[in-house]
Amino acid sequence: MSAPLLSVRDLEISFRLGTEETAVVRDLSFDLGEGETLGIVGESGCGKSITALSLLGLVPNPPGRVSAGQILFQGQDLVGASEEQLNRIRGNEISMVFQEPMTSLNPVYTVGEQIAETARVHFGSSRAEAWDRAIEMLKLVGIPSPEQRAHNFPHQLSGGMRQRVMIAIALVCEPKILIADEPTTALDVTVQAQIFDLFRELQDKIGAAIILITHDIGVVAQMTNRVMVMYAGRKIEEGPVAGFIRDPRHPYTRGLISCIPRLSMSPSDMPDPLFEIPGVVPAPRELGAPGCAFAPRCPHAMQRCRVQDPALSRIGEGRAVACWLEEEVAA
Amino acid sequence: MTALSVRDLKVHFPAGKGKVVHAVDGVSFDIPEGTAFGLVGESGSGKTTAALACARLVEATAGEVRLGETDITTLAGDAMRRARRDIQVVFQDPYASLNPRERVGAIVRRPLDLMKVGTPAEREARVDELFATVGLRPDQKALFPHQFSGGQRQRIGIARALATHPKLIVCDEPVSALDVAIQAQILNLLARLKAEMGLSYLFISHDLAVVQHLCDRIAVMYLGQIVETGSRREIFTSPMHPYTMALISAVPSPETGLAGVERIRLQGDPPSPIAPPPGCRFAGRCTFATDHCSKVAPVLTATGGNHAVACHRAQDAEVAAARNALVQGAPSG
Repeated sequence: MSAPLLSVRDLEISFRLGTEETAVVRDLSFDLGEGETLGIVGESGCGKSITALSLLGLVPNPPGRVSAGQILFQGQDLVGASEEQLNRIRGNEISMVFQEPMTSLNPVYTVGEQIAETARVHFGSSRAEAWDRAIEMLKLVGIPSPEQRAHNFPHQLSGGMRQRVMIAIALVCEPKILIADEPTTALDVTVQAQIFDLFRELQDKIGAAIILITHDIGVVAQMTNRVMVMYAGRKIEEGPVAGFIRDPRHPYTRGLISCIPRLSMSPSDMPDPLFEIPGVVPAPRELGAPGCAFAPRCPHAMQRCRVQDPALSRIGEGRAVACWLEEEVAA
Repeated sequence: MTALSVRDLKVHFPAGKGKVVHAVDGVSFDIPEGTAFGLVGESGSGKTTAALACARLVEATAGEVRLGETDITTLAGDAMRRARRDIQVVFQDPYASLNPRERVGAIVRRPLDLMKVGTPAEREARVDELFATVGLRPDQKALFPHQFSGGQRQRIGIARALATHPKLIVCDEPVSALDVAIQAQILNLLARLKAEMGLSYLFISHDLAVVQHLCDRIAVMYLGQIVETGSRREIFTSPMHPYTMALISAVPSPETGLAGVERIRLQGDPPSPIAPPPGCRFAGRCTFATDHCSKVAPVLTATGGNHAVACHRAQDAEVAAARNALVQGAPSG
């Protein structure tokens, strides 16, 4: 494989909480290749969304900042890049679809204007050109009668249509990387399926790489090539999607996969209780304590887990896991 | 015994200029005691409005809602208040459904206070018992809602719903606002309470896997009407309505995702509930629709067991072939 499109190296993102600064994302490294779809999974509060924001230079500062590491996009380090440089990349080379289609659009502009604005800013198109481009994009994302819909305000559209408008805005400039942060959690399954069809089509058409943040394991299986599991701000497992689903190695990954009810076409009359991961993710203030951050919730936690944080170790082709159990097995 | 019996329930809202939103348009179902009944459908299908009308949090326009022997749609004042002991609600958003300025012990005690159940000391003891039942510590009673996580808040909401020993609990998307790992904790709690207390649930969700996990019987709603209903086994081993098939097919599952199983696609968005189309309301999005479908509305017809479907073409070979492909293409287990 040639040099990756995006290469994140030893990223650390810190937030000031009161008088102390806490690292909410630590030692995070990952690559994204051209045309690849990377899934990032984990519960809320694990650092998925803030990692995505950091790729666009959008970590709210203060109280947050990228406190260490590099984000190399086509060899250029985005950490410490000027606003001007970032503006050239944001929306143009890397764009983002946010979680809430209800709140991410401007309610006082028509959707056509909001798409056209992006085209005007990045291409310097004339108003007429940008408007035509907006209609073309609405058509591309499957909105019926785009000429009329372009004149609609966000409140006149359904949730699914609004999300498609968000995607249209993100794709106007044919970005090399599309970051989608839970793009379908607010939507019905049938609409979700349409949105994912759209992602795939666009990937075929413009070869964009996608980073898909989700907690839905089914979505991961359907959409991604590779998966990265985050817990308490760290990558704890990474690998190709098939291995992640069929043979998850970290107890947290196993828990995430087995705690969801799975749709079965031959359901039993008395379903077994679901597997539970006890407890909740640690609060930011509790980060940085010694030992593995998952140990308090882990059914296999040993003495060592409570004192020493396991490092990420390779366990096969493209796979890595941060868990002392793996060393036990290897020894 | 039937815990809740709903007959031809209609809920219409005025939409201005003489227009009417047909949110719920002739829905009937029974919930046998000790069972969970799931209402599924896309947003806008009327499932939440139907459930709220069953708890009389929305007034029914027409129809009957029998809680045990009583039709609660016509009760007023104190009689309605007494009936509410038997029907309680767990809401979707545990952040918005608890008063942020009240201590959680008082929140759980509130239904007992309002209905003057027992002495104050007995109520306090009941609150302790409820906290233990839902997996909280009684010493947490003095805390405020913001001091709890989302999952714990939903436990508080469940404790409040259980306070008056209800027969039926309406659960409106009780886990959709929660994190995956926490969903399992709450679903297991609901399943345990149902088994231990013989509770009945009217369970609203857009998540088919969740409904399949918890509900004994399921009804699929589309644009204000039930298009298919049956037992858990009937709905999933032999989905009859093309809409049910499309819903099932749209759920991404780990196995089908990896295998790249082909989905049944739905085109477009549901029509407006202000002017529902004549004929079958799903016809415009249905791959199997004929001229007849868009002219004549199908009625919900029993097909054996508890299974009933409202579709002219449910028994046709073309639909049966799609059904077989769906049921066999998906993994079992």
